[in-house]
Amino acid sequence: MVQINFALREVNCKIVYYGPGMSGKTTNLEVIHRRAPEGHRGELTSIATEGDRTLFFDFMPLDLGTIAGMKTKFQLYTVPGQVYYNSTRKLVLQGVDGVVFVADSSPAKMEENLQSFANLEENLREYGRELSDLAHVIQLNKRDLPDALPVAELNQRLNKYRATTYEAIAMTGEGVFPTLKALASAVLESINRMEPKTKGAAPVPTPVAVGAAVAAPAAAAAPAGIVRTGPAFAPAGPAPVAAAASAGMGAHAPPGTGAGPGRFTRFAMPVEGGGSPREPGGALGGSAPAPPVAVAPSPVVRPYAAPNARTDIGPVAVPPAPRAAAPRPVVARPNAPARVVARPVAAAPAARPAPPAAKPSGGGRSNLVYAAVFGALVTAAAFGVLLLLR
Amino acid sequence: MTRQQPSGDTNMVLYAEDVERMNRLLDEFLRLSAARLAFLVDRTGRVITRRGQDLRLDVETLGALAAGTFAATREMARLAGEEQFSGMTHQGQRTHMHIARVEDRTLFAVLFDEKTTLGMVKLYAGEAARRLAAVFDEMRTRRTTPAEALEAGFGQSAKSALDQLLRD
Repeated sequence: MVQINFALREVNCKIVYYGPGMSGKTTNLEVIHRRAPEGHRGELTSIATEGDRTLFFDFMPLDLGTIAGMKTKFQLYTVPGQVYYNSTRKLVLQGVDGVVFVADSSPAKMEENLQSFANLEENLREYGRELSDLAHVIQLNKRDLPDALPVAELNQRLNKYRATTYEAIAMTGEGVFPTLKALASAVLESINRMEPKTKGAAPVPTPVAVGAAVAAPAAAAAPAGIVRTGPAFAPAGPAPVAAAASAGMGAHAPPGTGAGPGRFTRFAMPVEGGGSPREPGGALGGSAPAPPVAVAPSPVVRPYAAPNARTDIGPVAVPPAPRAAAPRPVVARPNAPARVVARPVAAAPAARPAPPAAKPSGGGRSNLVYAAVFGALVTAAAFGVLLLLR
Repeated sequence: MTRQQPSGDTNMVLYAEDVERMNRLLDEFLRLSAARLAFLVDRTGRVITRRGQDLRLDVETLGALAAGTFAATREMARLAGEEQFSGMTHQGQRTHMHIARVEDRTLFAVLFDEKTTLGMVKLYAGEAARRLAAVFDEMRTRRTTPAEALEAGFGQSAKSALDQLLRD
């Protein structure tokens, strides 16, 4: 679900890194965070257990810059890989625009790869979506393992929909950017396809379905020799790492040599038998917040109705009335009539438009009565004094 | 596991005049409730608009976390036999947060402090959410829209920018 916000002049796309536990999804995001130019990357937020496993998701905004007057952003998410976190994994898939499936090249992890891929399809179906219709790429990670499965075999068993595949060694950053670039391109293609429907004088507002079948994404965007597309993929040689290096994977700078790390927040939750938490990043970074939309004051907005139905919100509701200056109870002071009369009848004006609690209580009227009685008493006393003097 | 509504599969296009109406409602809410910050976020975690003080806060991340937390709460409600919880509150030492559901695709999040109370915030947030829901409903059902559209070649320009940004 691409969000196109003409008020904030923003286009927002959601990309999710999916795959089995420990396949390198979070590592992908960490590399992107380290290497993306400052000012384009937001904070990397990670909700993890003490054992450094993703508990809910990792999140990082990536700002592409202003394109044709629209600030274009990708929100990158990872999901927790472990089987028992499926509920949270499914939630992260909501409204996804593109998926990177991060597969582990280890032979021991092949079953987990297959399970996770099936789980991805199943979870998408829960939202009424099909992976075959959604932009996705497959990253074959950990190509540096000595016993890494041949790319052809991984491709044959995992790549059901002929998506583009990429070899990667996420720990060193190799293959991370090409993977993201290919998927992001595919997502942008999907926006391209909806453009004619949003243009024109009066386009029908019905949102346009996104979810592009993955066409072979920009082959030029990836280093030659690393992009592997579809089952037609040629079998890898006996030494995939060497092949990858010769194809350009080795050209990646080692982690930490790029731009300085931005802020990396990782919220840890205690877990039994957990290992050591990952090292957080260093200096603060983060994308500048988008400017607020300038909006004229709102004379047309009707003030809210008086909150009569306070019972609706339970006992915690606090009546707004105390903020308005309520009239104080009048104490009878027969010896100070002038002060009573001088008091304004109306209560002090309320500081904010207040609910009807600040109703005048009629205290001013009783003050007049007291004044009249006091006057009568004074007159009677004066008559009495005159009579006594006579 | 229940099947979700497929409504999340469609794009959300927000036009300036709709967002300005939302902004007016948020401003009114902030004035009445004395809360610090109010923002709308779609259920995938993308911020629609924000108003109030603290505009320098990282609302983008806050929105993603709020949407995730709210989605988890909905799942908890389902497990508890409820269709959904309509709102949730996080209480801190000085700053608190309240999140209310506006409609299927949108959440309303509020940051507030000791200048007001949870009761005030919930009271006015409920009213604001009802009014905002009406705006979203109108957006979905109307037949014509403002003549705002992405410029031709947006996708191609974006891809060039992507090449620049993710250069190895």
